[in-house]
Amino acid sequence: MQTTYERDIIVNKVLRVLNVILKAIVVVIFIFPFYWMVSTSLKDLTEALKFPPTLIPSSLHWENYAHVFEVVPIAQYFKNSVIVSVTVLILQYLIIVPAAYSLSRHEYKGKKLFFGLVLLGQMIPQQVTFLPVYFMFSKVKLLSTLIPLILPFISNPFGIFMLRQYFMQIPQEVIEAARLDDASNMKIMFKVMMPMAKPALVTIGLLSFISTWNSYFWPLIMTSKEALRTLPVGVAALKSSETLQMWHIIMAGNVVLVLPILLIYIVASKKIRNSFAYSGIK
Amino acid sequence: MKKKRSASEKRDRLLGVITAAPAAILLCVFTVYPVIYLIYRSLFSGSLISAKKEFVGVDNYKEIFFDETFHKVLANTVIYTVLFVGLTMVLAILIAVWLNGSRQKKLNNMVEACIFTPHVISMVSVSIVFLWLMEPDTGFFNMVLTKLGVGKYPFLSSPKTAMISLVLVMVWKSVGYYVLLVMAALQTVPVSIYEAAELDNTSKVRTFFKITLPMISPTILFTCVVASIASFKIFDAVNVMTQGGPVDSTNTLVYYIYAYAFRYGKPGIACAAGVVLLVLVCVMTYVQFGVSKNKVHYQ
Amino acid sequence: MGTIQLKNVKKQFDKDVVIENLNLEIADGSFTVLVGPSGCGKSTTLRMITGLDDPTEGDIYIDGQKVNDITPGKRDIAMVFQNYALYPTMTVRQNISFGLENKKVPKEERERRVKEICEIVGLTEYLDRKPSKLSGGQRQRVALARAMVKQPKVFLMDEPLSNLDAKLRAQMRVELIELHKKLGTTFVYVTHDQTEAMSMADTIVLMKDGYIVQQSSPRELYNNPNCVYAAQFIGTPQMNVLRDVLPDGKMLGFRPEKLYFKDTEEPHIRISVRVATKEMLGSEIIYSLGSQYGTLMAKTDYEMGTGEEADVCVPFSAMYLFDSNEKRIELDEKELERIKAAFSR
Repeated sequence: MQTTYERDIIVNKVLRVLNVILKAIVVVIFIFPFYWMVSTSLKDLTEALKFPPTLIPSSLHWENYAHVFEVVPIAQYFKNSVIVSVTVLILQYLIIVPAAYSLSRHEYKGKKLFFGLVLLGQMIPQQVTFLPVYFMFSKVKLLSTLIPLILPFISNPFGIFMLRQYFMQIPQEVIEAARLDDASNMKIMFKVMMPMAKPALVTIGLLSFISTWNSYFWPLIMTSKEALRTLPVGVAALKSSETLQMWHIIMAGNVVLVLPILLIYIVASKKIRNSFAYSGIK
Repeated sequence: MKKKRSASEKRDRLLGVITAAPAAILLCVFTVYPVIYLIYRSLFSGSLISAKKEFVGVDNYKEIFFDETFHKVLANTVIYTVLFVGLTMVLAILIAVWLNGSRQKKLNNMVEACIFTPHVISMVSVSIVFLWLMEPDTGFFNMVLTKLGVGKYPFLSSPKTAMISLVLVMVWKSVGYYVLLVMAALQTVPVSIYEAAELDNTSKVRTFFKITLPMISPTILFTCVVASIASFKIFDAVNVMTQGGPVDSTNTLVYYIYAYAFRYGKPGIACAAGVVLLVLVCVMTYVQFGVSKNKVHYQ
Repeated sequence: MGTIQLKNVKKQFDKDVVIENLNLEIADGSFTVLVGPSGCGKSTTLRMITGLDDPTEGDIYIDGQKVNDITPGKRDIAMVFQNYALYPTMTVRQNISFGLENKKVPKEERERRVKEICEIVGLTEYLDRKPSKLSGGQRQRVALARAMVKQPKVFLMDEPLSNLDAKLRAQMRVELIELHKKLGTTFVYVTHDQTEAMSMADTIVLMKDGYIVQQSSPRELYNNPNCVYAAQFIGTPQMNVLRDVLPDGKMLGFRPEKLYFKDTEEPHIRISVRVATKEMLGSEIIYSLGSQYGTLMAKTDYEMGTGEEADVCVPFSAMYLFDSNEKRIELDEKELERIKAAFSR
């Protein structure tokens, strides 16, 4: 009896160590490519292509970053990305908050139709609508502006859907108490409902910012001029002819694209994961 | 007698309509109208630049249905979807069950965070990094493989291996997200069921197949459908890493649509292919609703 | 002044007529309790007074002024909800002063009033906490304070004590009665609990199926119910009503506590009974008694064992007579003779 018991303890210990080792391997698999990106971005060309590769750059070549700012207007791309992401982030609240309020707190003819529209908006992908929208913006001569990257995304149907769920969970009595306290509809919205839906508003904001920042397909199609490119489009274009094989430069550009989101993720990892989990289950 | 509406009720209705209007208009302009126009435009020829177009009926559809590239594209899209969804879900379930079953809370949280990281990073970045890692001559993977004596693997440069390489990159990027979803599903399984199984002296493998899997299978099914819809839309990685090549081996539906519109300047064909995508998405959404009805596993 | 009148009020939700035609007058400074089973329209009545629901037809007056088209916030009323309906994202202080802010009360006065009220209800040390960090009783106090601080003409309360445990509920009942005395404002209180109604009200409005059965003081309602429903609604166990003993479908009622195991001096009838079950309450015992007229309930301090037989007396003075429509009728000499005859058989 005694011996089997002792053996169990040993087996358990070994298992636990194996578990930790396995987890470490998994972590490496998912982190290494990012490390390799940063590491390459700090090497010079010879070292980047050296065989066998060096894991740690022998000397740090920060000038690669200066170089990438010279070959392409990456500062402009960065600015465009910030303008688009932040504008979408802010403007969408002006649209989705009233829409969710309307769907959760009012009765009127056509409400079901409107809700159907919201569901349809979630269902139809950009990959279906992009050509007609392209024609549309081309017709009104807006393709030479950033508007096509902003306007279609401020009616964020997922945001409306999620916020509606949140608003519907607010007890009717709390709203009624506010009405008895002589609060106007605006005041009920800003002082009572929005504070109560704060988790949803934060989730929607995070998801929207990440997806707009990372978006490639849409800005690729809707931007005709180089000066309008966003970071993903600009960085993807980096690997075109003139920088071919200049992986250290390409990676430096790539770091500029990754860094803002990575920083946000490091700060709010749990919150972001919960947001994505919620959007996947809904 | 018609029901009288009080002034406050009328105000309430009006407010409801006014607050709904901006979103409704935007959704009509950027969702409803484009879908209708897409179908309408697929019946015309013409170019991207000039507004001139000519009614050609179903000619565009005929053209794509007799186009061998299109057949290949559809096959690629289906193969990609099956490989991606299958591999991702199996890995996600394994990782989620593994993490869920071990008690190192802090470590697990870190592992989960790391696995999820690629999901928040742009597809462009991921594509570029893997393009570099998979570089046939100087890339890290082949350097390691050479060192190990396995010899070089062509990855994205050969028609035979490009698709599976693409799938691997996408799985690497997305699996963290699906781990998260499976974890959430696992959390809904009552602990008491596991305790009952333990008292019945059930082995871990048996517990997994007889209890865990059946309990989370409705969620898994739902997730598979959602993942399939997402797979149909693959574009970013294709455009950055392979441009559909080599020899159309990674050419997928959305890339085909994009190429016809903006490379070959035949928007009519692109729209017809777009309608095919629309139909696929509609069918899968219908399936999704059917699946989500019995999403919850009642005890 | 806080008088409330409802004139010919009708309320229907879609096709459901909840209240057909209601006329109600609530006196200024009264503590009026609307009581009745769920679905009787008491909450709907309260909500129409608040303005949260509009009457389909008819008029509502507060302080002699027609308020049909006045928004809830402007009716000079305050309400305490069953689940308190506190604003979860605001502190206690913000919860209480929210209504004052909306009424544009100057800041200094707001602070003074909040402080004053919190001292009365004993919340001073919790002013900066969120409701989620408070106990049920404390939340109840915040809800009360939020209503009181507005100094309204009328206080409306919708089952405000039903979420509290029994001990706290009893304590809050006393506090509410004292509060009403101190403020002298009209209180309108909705409950389905007859004990609560009896112990707190100076006027009880007993409702059923959207109409008022009886409106009177608790004592009057207990001593002089105007129908079987009113008679049986008040008192536990409920009044014994014998339906098949008297001729012409008339019914005879008497309360369980008026059923004596000892002889009384008063003129009475006598019924032979057998103890079926016995429920010990402490000072009193509730018996369920089998008799030839059906099961009778009795509440007394007289000790008997289960299965024991006895003769009980019911004095004529404790009897209530109802006609075949369950309406109360006078117990005159002629009827007394009939009752005597019925029970001597």
